[in-house]
Amino acid sequence: MTSTLKGITLKGSAELVAEFFSFGINSILYQRGIYPPESFSRVTQYDMSLQLTTDDKLKNYLANVVSQLKEWLFDCTVQKLVLVITCLETNEVLERWQFDIECDKSAKEISAPREKSIKTIQDEIRSVIRQITATVTFLPLLEIACAFDLLVYTDKEQMVPDKWEESGPQIINQSEEVRLRSFTTSIHKVNSMVAYKRTDSA
Amino acid sequence: MDIEDNTTVFATLKSFNSFLSCPEPPKRHSDQPAGSANLQINYKRNMELLDAAERVQSKSQYIKLDQEKKQMELSHKRARFELEKVATDSAQDLEREVDRNQDLLGRIKRLEEKEEDAAKSLSEQLGNNRVLRKNLDDLNKKVEERDVSLNTANQTISGLKDEIRELKQTVQNQDCTISTKNLENQSLQEQLDLQRRRYQQVSQLCQSLQSAQSSCSEHVIKIKELERRLSLQEQDIALVKTMRSEVARVQDLDKEVRRLRDDNAYLRESRENSSLLKEEVEGLRRKLERMEKTKEDLVNSELEKERLIEKLQAWEILGQSTGLNIRKPEDLSREVIQIQQREIALKEQNYTLSSRVRSVDRSQSQLQGEASQQRSKALEEQKKRETQDALVRRLQKRVLLLTKERDGMRSILESYDCELSHTEYSPQLSKRLREAEDILQKTQSHYEEMEAQLTKAQEETGTLKLQLQTVELELESVRKQQSSVAESNWAMVKEEVSLLRLKIEDVEGERQRLEEQNNILEMRLERHSLQGDYDPVKTRVLHLKMNPTNVAKQQRQQETEALREEVTRLREHLRSLKDAGPLALQDNPHTGIRGLGLSLPPSQEVLDLRKQMESLEMRNQRLKEVFQRKIQEFRTVCYVLTGYQIDVTTETQYRLSSVYAEHMDDSLLFKKVPQCGSCGIMQLMETEFSKTLGEMVALHLHHQKSIPAFLSALTLDLFSRQTTF
Repeated sequence: MTSTLKGITLKGSAELVAEFFSFGINSILYQRGIYPPESFSRVTQYDMSLQLTTDDKLKNYLANVVSQLKEWLFDCTVQKLVLVITCLETNEVLERWQFDIECDKSAKEISAPREKSIKTIQDEIRSVIRQITATVTFLPLLEIACAFDLLVYTDKEQMVPDKWEESGPQIINQSEEVRLRSFTTSIHKVNSMVAYKRTDSA
Repeated sequence: MDIEDNTTVFATLKSFNSFLSCPEPPKRHSDQPAGSANLQINYKRNMELLDAAERVQSKSQYIKLDQEKKQMELSHKRARFELEKVATDSAQDLEREVDRNQDLLGRIKRLEEKEEDAAKSLSEQLGNNRVLRKNLDDLNKKVEERDVSLNTANQTISGLKDEIRELKQTVQNQDCTISTKNLENQSLQEQLDLQRRRYQQVSQLCQSLQSAQSSCSEHVIKIKELERRLSLQEQDIALVKTMRSEVARVQDLDKEVRRLRDDNAYLRESRENSSLLKEEVEGLRRKLERMEKTKEDLVNSELEKERLIEKLQAWEILGQSTGLNIRKPEDLSREVIQIQQREIALKEQNYTLSSRVRSVDRSQSQLQGEASQQRSKALEEQKKRETQDALVRRLQKRVLLLTKERDGMRSILESYDCELSHTEYSPQLSKRLREAEDILQKTQSHYEEMEAQLTKAQEETGTLKLQLQTVELELESVRKQQSSVAESNWAMVKEEVSLLRLKIEDVEGERQRLEEQNNILEMRLERHSLQGDYDPVKTRVLHLKMNPTNVAKQQRQQETEALREEVTRLREHLRSLKDAGPLALQDNPHTGIRGLGLSLPPSQEVLDLRKQMESLEMRNQRLKEVFQRKIQEFRTVCYVLTGYQIDVTTETQYRLSSVYAEHMDDSLLFKKVPQCGSCGIMQLMETEFSKTLGEMVALHLHHQKSIPAFLSALTLDLFSRQTTF
């Protein structure tokens, strides 16, 4: 962020993407009502007002994940980040917010900054978050108590750090998928999409 | 100024004088002598006047200059006086200045002294200064340290303030949550109380209901028993009636029995006969069936035979037409095998031919290459020959020339000889001649060599031509062979080509199919990746152990466990209430409930149930009364009609005491033995009274197997005994 007035470096890109994930996850949790709306506070970011959680446990968890994710983004070993929403009663996966990350691994060798201004990247991020907000209109209502989990798809060689463990992909049985916008920092490209359980009425 | 003016005057004077002194032109003298004389006089006068004026003027001037000179002297004296005066003043000044200088020198000395003092003090001051500076630095350092510590303290203070703020927030949040929790708790407790009250009421009602039900069931059982007794009695009545009628018909029946027995014997014989006949019929039928089957088989076999004959004929025709001695399928198979073998042999031949064709092709191509080489060689040789021919021609020409030259030379020599027969030049000439002859010989030998070469070359070309011809011949033969082989192979090649084409088409089709499949699979793969599938070889999925889902699940589990515990606790509570409850409830429901800490308001349901229960009880009571009445009536009616009073001593045991009994204790005991039927069989038990009735028992029960008959007989017997006065 500091030296990216003209271009963008790998470090800056990793930080931008991690920041996007932090805000994106917060807004999904707010929009989908996984946590009560009164536990969120309004913040201005990317020239738009966003909701950030004030729940300390959640904050702590997100900070942990995002910091680890930043490292992986810097190593270019992360492939996907998935936000899984599961029903607590039936343990059924109801929604999967999947962010495919394409890393330009050549950026690790060539340290020269890329020609892309932060302004344009933030514009792209803003449109992605807008779309996430707009998806509430067609996603089925979550009427039962739900919880979320964050899965990170990494390269196989990646060591599993402490406090982390391997997990299943948590695939939805009979799902509908919707592709959302994508953005790129010219080093990391993030494709977003949401899959949700097909309801009988739909 | 004056001097200059004077000079000018003098200059004019001089020029004027010179003008005057020069002689006058004679013409004027001559032309105007009178006039000129007058003018000259006037002029002289004027000039004199002018001179006088000038003299006066100069004198005055002189006087003036003198006066000026005196004035100048005066001024000079005055100036000198003044100068002296000034000199004395200046001397005085000088003295004063010297004095002052001395004063100043003294002062300077004093000042120097002072300066020295000052320097000393300055050095002292500098020393002091240094000390002070050091002190100052120390102090500054101390101050900086304090500043640093102050900053750290400030930072810690700010951090602590932040923490305090956060803690306050958390405290507030927690307060809020606590208050909400308290509210929830209160509401839950209220609900619990309500539920307990309800539960108590319900349990109370349940108990009352159960007691009512139990009484009800008892009544029902009683009713059932009574009904059963009633039905039994009715049956008995019916039995008695039938017995009576049967007894009346016994004699007729005996007769009939005899008749029937006879009939029976006759019928048995006839039945045996008929069974024998039936068996015979059966045997005949079977035979018939077998016969029919054999007939069908026969027809089928005939049909088959005809078919076979047809086949055989066909085979024979085939054998005749083909000219082979095919009589049997074995022959055919042998033929087929032979044909196959022949085919195989032909195929082998074909293969060998094709291989030969290929080898021939190869050799043909080789030979073609050789032929081309040979042709090129022949061409080269032809060229060589041509060049040789040309050379030969040229050489012939040269030879001709040389011979001509030689002839010429000879003629010259001859002429020389004839000319110089006398002279002494002959040796020289003979020398020349010899030289020339030598040259000639050399040329001749050269010519011969060339000719030899030519012939050689011609021979070579001839051999090459021969070779070429042979090669061409070979080529033609090979071509012929190839064409013959090609014609024979053409059809096969065509077939092969068509086969290969088909294969290619098949392969193309398969390729397209595979491409489509590949596309489909790729689509599927993309869909799978959309759904979140991954390649387990390259990718692994990670998540934090303490993720919100797990936390929420754990919380849920804990909650469920807590709820379960509560449920078990409540169940136990209920059980204890049930154990301790009934007495208290029956004594006084309200106080009992109070005593147990539960107070459920009577609900509409409970009231309804109570009403229902009351009505049921009433109905029960009425039924009981009705039943009792009816039973009594029934018993009396039974007693009056049958003459027997039936009592139930124990379950399944009935005591019958007759109206006409001689003693009160005379009674019969019947026991119901359960059997498959609904009623079962009644057995007479041995009593004191029954022992006396051996005859009747033997007749009616053992022989006739009829209890009503027995009872009726007994009644009649007792009646006759009582009424025989």
